[in-house]
Amino acid sequence: MSTEAMTEIRAPKRIVHEKYTKGTFGLQIVALFVSIFFIFPIFIIIIDSFKTKVELVMNPPLSMPESFRPDNFIKAWQSLHFGEAFLNSILYTAVSTTIISILCAITAWAIVRGGTKFFRAARVYFLIGILIPAQSLVLPIYLLWNKMGLINSRFGMIFLHICTGLSFGIFLESNFINTVPVEIEEAARIDGCSIFQTFFRVTLPLLKASMATLIIVQTFTIWNDYMLTNLAIQSKAKRTIILAMRTLFSTSKNDYSVAMAAIIISATPIIILFVSLQKQFIKGMTVGAVKG
Amino acid sequence: MKKSKYSSYEKKIKRQYASLMVPSLVLFTLGIIIPIIMCFYYSLFEWDGFSPDMKFLGLGNYINIFKDPQVMMSWRFTIFFSIANSLTANIGALLLATLLDSKIKAKTLQRTIVFIPCLFSSIVTGFVWKKMYSEILPGIVQALGLTINLKLFGSQSTVLLGLTIANCWQWTGLWMMIYLAALQSVPQDFYEAAIMDGANAFQRFFRITIPLIMPAIITCTVGLTTGALRTYDILVTATEGGPGRASNTIVYYIYNIAFKQKLYGYGSAISITLIIVLLIVAVAQLMFFRKKEVQL
Repeated sequence: MSTEAMTEIRAPKRIVHEKYTKGTFGLQIVALFVSIFFIFPIFIIIIDSFKTKVELVMNPPLSMPESFRPDNFIKAWQSLHFGEAFLNSILYTAVSTTIISILCAITAWAIVRGGTKFFRAARVYFLIGILIPAQSLVLPIYLLWNKMGLINSRFGMIFLHICTGLSFGIFLESNFINTVPVEIEEAARIDGCSIFQTFFRVTLPLLKASMATLIIVQTFTIWNDYMLTNLAIQSKAKRTIILAMRTLFSTSKNDYSVAMAAIIISATPIIILFVSLQKQFIKGMTVGAVKG
Repeated sequence: MKKSKYSSYEKKIKRQYASLMVPSLVLFTLGIIIPIIMCFYYSLFEWDGFSPDMKFLGLGNYINIFKDPQVMMSWRFTIFFSIANSLTANIGALLLATLLDSKIKAKTLQRTIVFIPCLFSSIVTGFVWKKMYSEILPGIVQALGLTINLKLFGSQSTVLLGLTIANCWQWTGLWMMIYLAALQSVPQDFYEAAIMDGANAFQRFFRITIPLIMPAIITCTVGLTTGALRTYDILVTATEGGPGRASNTIVYYIYNIAFKQKLYGYGSAISITLIIVLLIVAVAQLMFFRKKEVQL
């Protein structure tokens, strides 16, 4: 609340200096071209997802679809058993992200508030995971998970995401917590709050912005993951929307409009989440990733 | 009396903090640290990954790496790809952030547009750009009556350029957000003072902005380079390591050699070289940039 009020007070100060000159107009044109570069492939995905097979072959690539019927979307949904895959994706992403976010926040909090050499060493230990990511360790991870009987299991998949995904969150949260004043927590402790009460009632609400950043980054990482999911999941019933989509990319070489429809279906939940948390996301980035 | 009572309370609190870290420590050790140790152990053996007989080779696998032209080719491509990506995306992200932090209109909308590609899966990026290069862009070029070859994934000499464009399309937005956040945390008074002293826009950018956003530059450079060094997903749909073997990254090669050719020990040894390179690159970059950092 107080930080929001502060930005409101500071905001007009920036605007006072803003004048729209000829140079700015030039920049505006540059920005327009940049935006076109970034949005063009997405535009293609959207128009192609409505085209029929015949239209794809006969019409030039930039032509608009003749009608906006949802046929391809229905076909994608049915042929890939998207209902099932969607539920799997939601399950893996929601459970892993929730657990990772809480674990990262609480661990980072302990590291920052602990403060001694031991805790600083622990931070460095966790940072190894940023420098050596799971993608470079696929072979031993596969063998280890296989030994534990966690291959092709929903629990194993979630467990894998949690075990390999902690480093980034701990890095982000510990940078953020460094800027949160300790006095309120001390007051809470003196008033008789336990360590968990202090964390969940006093500290966690102050971490809203960085938690939004962490949740968005984790959600799109886990939702969009191909490599680790492909490693840990084999059966059709347990696969995610990304694994299901992969089969479409290789088999339907001529009829890729269905694949385009599938892409839109798979990305929609993430885009909605991002747009709704965008403000918090940027604020969390500012403190968590910049002041490291 | 009083002092010792206080420190025992302190100790109790520290112990509580330490116990809060236990779950993360256990999980992290299981997911990253134990696999690193296992990886090193397996790299010393000739092994297919499943059978009980493992033949001890010592450093034999490591010696073989240097005799294997395909590993060398994969490393070459991976390194070129990482350099191309971290330079292009880094400079692009910084310029874009500066552009979208200037006085232009519709900034928020354009930031969102630049960011949205990173919400797609990398296998989607690979697939869409394959279509772009093979059908859509050639179609447009043809309609304009030009004869530029845009089938970038089709030839060994252009596949690096094609993948760099596709990868930068996806990830520039994420790094731009970090730079944007950094730019907005630079106090405006610094610029005002510099204008008073007669500094032009370039001087302000290189003398004020760059030094003050050094932490963000570190985050982005390390993140981009280590990210590019472990590229895998985008290749699955974009090029499948082709044409020929021209776009095999090291992770893609490890995956194939272990899961298709069943050379686990050898694959593990290549993984260890990747881990060493990742560590060296990150530490070197951190040391290089830390020197240039200024505190506010």
